[in-house]
Amino acid sequence: MSFDLNFIGILIGAIMASSVPLILAASGELITERSGVLNLGVEGMMIIGAISGFALMVITDNLFFAVLGSMISGLIISIIFGVLTQSLLTNHVATGLALTIFGIGMSAMIGKNFVGIPGKEFPLLFVNLKENIPFLGPIIFGHSVILYFAFLLPFLTNYFLRKTKIGLIIRAVGDSPTSASNQGINVTLVRYSCILYGGAMCGLAGAYLSLIYTPQWIENMTGGRGWIALALVVFATWSPIKVLIGALIFGGITILQLHMQAVGLRIPVQLLSALPYIMTIIVLVVISRDSRKIKLNTPTSLGQIFYKEK
Amino acid sequence: MNTKLRVSEISKIYPGCVANDGISLEFGSGKIYALLGENGAGKSTLVKILSGVVRPDKGEVFLNDKSIKLNSPLDAKKNNIGMVFQHFNLFETLSVFENLSIDSDKKNEDLRLSVNNILKKYNFKIDLDIPVLNLSAGQKQKVEIIRCLIRNPKVLIMDEPTSVLTEQETEDLFVSLKQFSDEGILIIYITHKLKEVLSLCDEVAVMRKGKIVSVSKTKEEKIETLANKMVGENLSSIKKKINNFKYSEEILKISNLNFRSDDPYETNLINLNFSLKKGECLGIAGISGNGQSELFQILSGEIITDYTSIKFRDKEISKLNPRERREYLMAFSPEDRISQAAVPELKIYENVALNNFKSSNFFEKGLVNEKKIKEHSKKILSNFSVNTDNVEMKSQFLSGGNLQKLIIGRELITSPELLVCFNPTWGLDVGAINYIHETLININEKGKSSILISTDNDELLKLSDRICVIYKGKLSKIMYVNEVTPEKLGILMGGGSID
Repeated sequence: MSFDLNFIGILIGAIMASSVPLILAASGELITERSGVLNLGVEGMMIIGAISGFALMVITDNLFFAVLGSMISGLIISIIFGVLTQSLLTNHVATGLALTIFGIGMSAMIGKNFVGIPGKEFPLLFVNLKENIPFLGPIIFGHSVILYFAFLLPFLTNYFLRKTKIGLIIRAVGDSPTSASNQGINVTLVRYSCILYGGAMCGLAGAYLSLIYTPQWIENMTGGRGWIALALVVFATWSPIKVLIGALIFGGITILQLHMQAVGLRIPVQLLSALPYIMTIIVLVVISRDSRKIKLNTPTSLGQIFYKEK
Repeated sequence: MNTKLRVSEISKIYPGCVANDGISLEFGSGKIYALLGENGAGKSTLVKILSGVVRPDKGEVFLNDKSIKLNSPLDAKKNNIGMVFQHFNLFETLSVFENLSIDSDKKNEDLRLSVNNILKKYNFKIDLDIPVLNLSAGQKQKVEIIRCLIRNPKVLIMDEPTSVLTEQETEDLFVSLKQFSDEGILIIYITHKLKEVLSLCDEVAVMRKGKIVSVSKTKEEKIETLANKMVGENLSSIKKKINNFKYSEEILKISNLNFRSDDPYETNLINLNFSLKKGECLGIAGISGNGQSELFQILSGEIITDYTSIKFRDKEISKLNPRERREYLMAFSPEDRISQAAVPELKIYENVALNNFKSSNFFEKGLVNEKKIKEHSKKILSNFSVNTDNVEMKSQFLSGGNLQKLIIGRELITSPELLVCFNPTWGLDVGAINYIHETLININEKGKSSILISTDNDELLKLSDRICVIYKGKLSKIMYVNEVTPEKLGILMGGGSID
């Protein structure tokens, strides 16, 4: 019995690990979208984060620089998006799509020299406790510092948006940039900051993949997680806590259906592979039905170009 | 504390339009100044310059003889210039309190205290913790005013503040404004309502086409003299023929209209029954937020309610949607021109096409018949004297008056038997109001009926044949207009009863 419990614990630990990149990227994008900016470049920023994190790890042999570098490179690539959409007033959707395509191509180019190089072991915390406490051990302990950060992030984001002045300003800008500007708020600055923050979080999400989750570089290794993160934000109706729930469901069903495939259930593999996507959407739609709350949480100006009257 | 504000030689040119042309004015505290002019006269531009939203091409602003730079709204705030915009600068999804706290440096508790003091002092009733989108237009305006008052302004600029207020609320506002003025705040009051200028203000500057055409003491002015200065020509006054319709045929009968909403911020309607005769105008008065918008939506078919019976030309239409109702020759002009009646980002002819129904033939086999729509739109523009003949123009570039003419024209060009309109002259200037009023009287004279839901009592008394008042979702008894006085309306609007 204790073996079974421990196995479930390990399974939950694995589920948590697999949802980390989604939580990080979606939390970042949530802030960006709350300011009224729709950045569809999440996938691109993630993969740039993944390759630069891995490359820096190989070059400097220092994981701290690797993680920091991945965030900075996610941030830098988001500057491109910021300049285009906020200063040159290009369309958010088209620019975001271009950013993703650019990111994937760019990462493949840089990544050529890093294929097949083994990754470095990332330090995990409280490994003793993980092995000595049955069931709860593998759930709570033995993870990387980034995982703990990721699971705190939705709560921090929620607090930040609801309780702090800057959070209030971001929501105000997302609601009505014109009113905000007339109130003396520098809309462009707020939106730039949110874009850069989103970029850094996506970069970190990428680094988690290439440094911790599957420590190596594979072309296209984000595998659509950026798009899932984007969808999570919308289906979670811009609520950080629901993003966390959605990411866990998605990660959970992804892992479970792998096990089901391994067991050899007589369900078509394609259907099993589609299951995480379907279930996540269903659950999030069900928990986000309150139309009043949707109206209050949706950034009214999402995707709208703002320019200041001179 | 004496405040002196002076603007000197202010000019602002937009492509194709001189909004402000060398404007010089002087204001001193202790007085209320009116800035009077039609829409498009340049008042709003001047006000935006004073509040730092727009930068002038030329000219300077002096506060107490010191030249001040107003490069951003923050500069205006720093110089204690407060501004209540005509179009609300509020964040709809944030709560009232969040809206107020966003540009305040105070701690939340202190802010709540001072807001509550203001609420008490000026007798405003607003729940601070509900989202702004649930407030009525009148309440939103109050939030804007409170936002200025928190900052103890030296100068308070009010841009058309009464366009959404009822008469009682307007009177209360005037009392408050006079109080601010006595407290030493310099008040600049932008309006196109002549009566308000005369009853509230000490001095009046009239603007026309970007220039100041006259500055005078209000004591020396009369409504007619001001109107003529403002419009630059003599306005005809219009009057409606009184009719009692005893023998006319009934065209609309509403019985048992009830509406219960789960949304606590909507008003429930309780057992409304009324009927309308051919050629008659029924006015529905009331303070905003007493169920007018729900009633309008039920009449237009945006909300379908159970058990209600709406008989229109002997047909039961209570379950039909707005499009189907239009087929039966009903027409609707909603309150909010920009978000309900028209899509500002679309071109004029596209907005016209939105109003399509089967018999309009705008669409054939799923394709847009652009030529037909454009011809139809041109006809509307010319028949209803909209100030352009360019149907390709985006609707957002039309002034409020012209947009309203387009909307009413779009409805009336199909000669409907019944027009339901909700605050049709909200925020319009005298010329446009006059035109809309003429149009509405005109359709009654042609034997068509209308329902006029309005918060403007003058308008109701001028246009209606019969009037009733809606209060907390209930209708008062319906009276012939010659039995009604503004006082009676006021009592009913406040929930009192007469005779």
